Amino acid sequence: MSSAKFDVLIIGAGAYGLSCAWWMAKRRTGARILVVDEGEFASGASGRNGAGFRMQWGLDLNIRLCQESIRFFETAAEQLDYPRGIELKQDGYLVLAHSPKALATLRSSLEIQHRYGVPSELLDADDCVKMVPALGRNRLAGGTFCGKDGTISPFLLLDSLLKACRREKVDVRYGTRVEKLARANGSFCATVKDGTIEADKVLLCTDWAVPELLASLGFTLPVKSLPKEAIVTVPCAPKVRPILISLEHHISVNQVARGSIIFVVSRAREGTEIVSTPDFLGFAAPKIIDLLPGVADVQVLRTWGGVSSLTPDMQPILGASEVEGLYVAVSSFRGLMTSPAVGRIMSALILENDTNDPVLTQLTPRRFQTGDLIVEPLLNQE
Amino acid sequence: MHRSIAIVGAGPAGMAAAIEAVRRRCRVTLIDEAERPGGQIYRQAHPALAGEEHAERAELARKHALIERFERVAGQLDYRAGATAYAAFGNGELHISERGRTEVLRPDATILATGVRELAVPFPGWTLPGVMFAGGAQAILKSQKVLPGARAVVAGCGPLPLVVAAQLLRAGGEVAALALLRPLTGMLAHPMSLWHGREIVRDGFRYAATVRRAGVPRLTGYVAVRAIGTECLEAAVLARVDGAGRVVPGSEREIPCDLLAVNYGFVANSELAAMAGARMRRDPVIGGWIPEVDAWGRTSIPGLFTAGDGAELRGALVAEADGTVVGAAAASPDGAAEASPGSELASAIAQRARHLEFQQVVRSTLRLPMELWRLVTDDTIVCRCESVRFGEIKDALANGHRSLNAVKRNVRSGMGWCGGRTCLHAIASLVELSTGSAPTEMMTPRPMARPVSFAALARRSPT
Repeated sequence: MSSAKFDVLIIGAGAYGLSCAWWMAKRRTGARILVVDEGEFASGASGRNGAGFRMQWGLDLNIRLCQESIRFFETAAEQLDYPRGIELKQDGYLVLAHSPKALATLRSSLEIQHRYGVPSELLDADDCVKMVPALGRNRLAGGTFCGKDGTISPFLLLDSLLKACRREKVDVRYGTRVEKLARANGSFCATVKDGTIEADKVLLCTDWAVPELLASLGFTLPVKSLPKEAIVTVPCAPKVRPILISLEHHISVNQVARGSIIFVVSRAREGTEIVSTPDFLGFAAPKIIDLLPGVADVQVLRTWGGVSSLTPDMQPILGASEVEGLYVAVSSFRGLMTSPAVGRIMSALILENDTNDPVLTQLTPRRFQTGDLIVEPLLNQE
Repeated sequence: MHRSIAIVGAGPAGMAAAIEAVRRRCRVTLIDEAERPGGQIYRQAHPALAGEEHAERAELARKHALIERFERVAGQLDYRAGATAYAAFGNGELHISERGRTEVLRPDATILATGVRELAVPFPGWTLPGVMFAGGAQAILKSQKVLPGARAVVAGCGPLPLVVAAQLLRAGGEVAALALLRPLTGMLAHPMSLWHGREIVRDGFRYAATVRRAGVPRLTGYVAVRAIGTECLEAAVLARVDGAGRVVPGSEREIPCDLLAVNYGFVANSELAAMAGARMRRDPVIGGWIPEVDAWGRTSIPGLFTAGDGAELRGALVAEADGTVVGAAAASPDGAAEASPGSELASAIAQRARHLEFQQVVRSTLRLPMELWRLVTDDTIVCRCESVRFGEIKDALANGHRSLNAVKRNVRSGMGWCGGRTCLHAIASLVELSTGSAPTEMMTPRPMARPVSFAALARRSPT
């Protein structure tokens, strides 16, 4: 392996890793940037998620990160010089409440959303069913809807970023696992299978696996993994036009252009293993029919597993770690939808020491020591 | 305590395994998608459908003898006709769906006797209506008793094209040409092996006689390079290939037809074994990705067995003997049976070995030269479900995405309805052709092997 020293080593070639690399390369021409990933193209969390994005959050930082990112998605084909496009679809996102209390939380989040110009609106149960006739009325209290939210293709976003990175001379290496990180003579030394990599700065974009690499430097960060499983159906007639999420069912639903419906289901279970569990479909099918009786006869084509990161306050972690020159970007299950903004912010921080973005203060890794945890109303309902 | 055994597939291997396991007093559940036993090779038409079967008499006698043996014990087993095994897991669970319900079986042992499907070497126009697998054309004859086309061109390699051409003729069809990559007469160089497979060889000569008497032009060393038509097939273009599998320029012949039946060998239906986590290996001639098994059919997963062609392509007679052997093994707690001299088991083991000798020679006719895959042009669709053309796959490879998973994530090949059943082996071969090295790993196998509705998944029968 080449012994050349890199300015920045990014570990993890998911949406965060590639976006940060591309923004850095744009920001400083000639910067020597290396991205390594232990897996293959799109084999991690970014390639396994439900593909949705939304501005409907209850907290300014999430709204701003997503608004900026959505503006990027709208022009990604030109910005990344990717004529094929990333299959952007803005059919809206319907956040469903299945109790009066949950609806009250959604209603209160509208205020901050409107303050930031998010075109979201409150719907009662009838409106929801009118919008998505396949919905069930069991406990349905209402929801909020934003027509600018939608979906992209994770594979195409990753491919467009990868191609753009390589055009900017970013070195992206798959199948390269960093076993250990060490600090030596003011820079970092990463041990990989066939040698070592030296870099001035390191950015960890391995999401739920960040603690593993930090541990080799003697540090901890309270990041846990949240295994999820997803279902894709055979293509069927349009049944779910906007994306749906039910906070009570822990299910998100996205019918893609080719007609398949994708369900992502969260279920508390141990471990970080990316697997399809034997009892998953028996668990998920009744919940899905409760939520959407209109899909009962749709056939399940395939299931797959994924893992997302979970932090104590369910918010991302962005910023400098306790080790000088070492940075972390942990998505807390919204990596794809926030990756453009995070790439911009982290590249400015790492290359120019620009700490002006208020998001960096809120999402600092240090908050777990000071106890300044963040409360996102839309995520703290139970 | 009698052992419980689940068997997937009611072809020769599955039927024989069921018979043997019942004989050994096991509680057997046999799951099969069809309404009647027989599998692909011994497929039975609906009893109400009149009409001849066009197979050789000896072959029909073998078929009816096995089905009769099976029918005699069918009352002693839990035979689920019309049911589908859609998932298998490493913990021993087998998930099945049947008439709008699902059920989780937890047998002591599972035998996968899921057989094979046909291998496609895609060529321009192969997705036109009227182009089909030779075995598919034969299945229409067998199960519907109708001709799949009035004027056929049959092409490919191995023995099946000859058999199908003969059966089409016997059913009253016209066969405009029979094109074979390699002459079947090459097998004559191995008389001992042919003697081991004498039952099959005899049938083969009779099929050959049918084709000869009808005056069907036989084009040896020719392959189908193109299918022509606007709405549906109008003509097949055949061309000669050299020993390396390269098309000889100027050798093309266009033959008008409304059926082009093609077979380039077989690929194992090994999804369930792979999904359960069984160690797999790849052998393009005997089934693509197949589970590693021992002589008793044991995979690397305890309690999971495979029998018949799904374990390794060996033909119906081996499948039947193998079913008996694996059925006996699965019936005993340690997964291996005692074969006392003179026992039925010992004779099944001997049968299996004898026919395997013959199958070795058959295999020599099924080996595809790598250059043959150049029939796939850049704009030929390789993955039919997602309409992925070879050019897109080449682009992904050029961008450094060499594994089947990485190619899939780039161009969606194998992500569609069939989950790669039709195209996975072709893509693996095209990766090898384009990059010089074959992919080492198959595409990650995932539930489900067959689609099942949410309603059926929610209606779970108690177990």
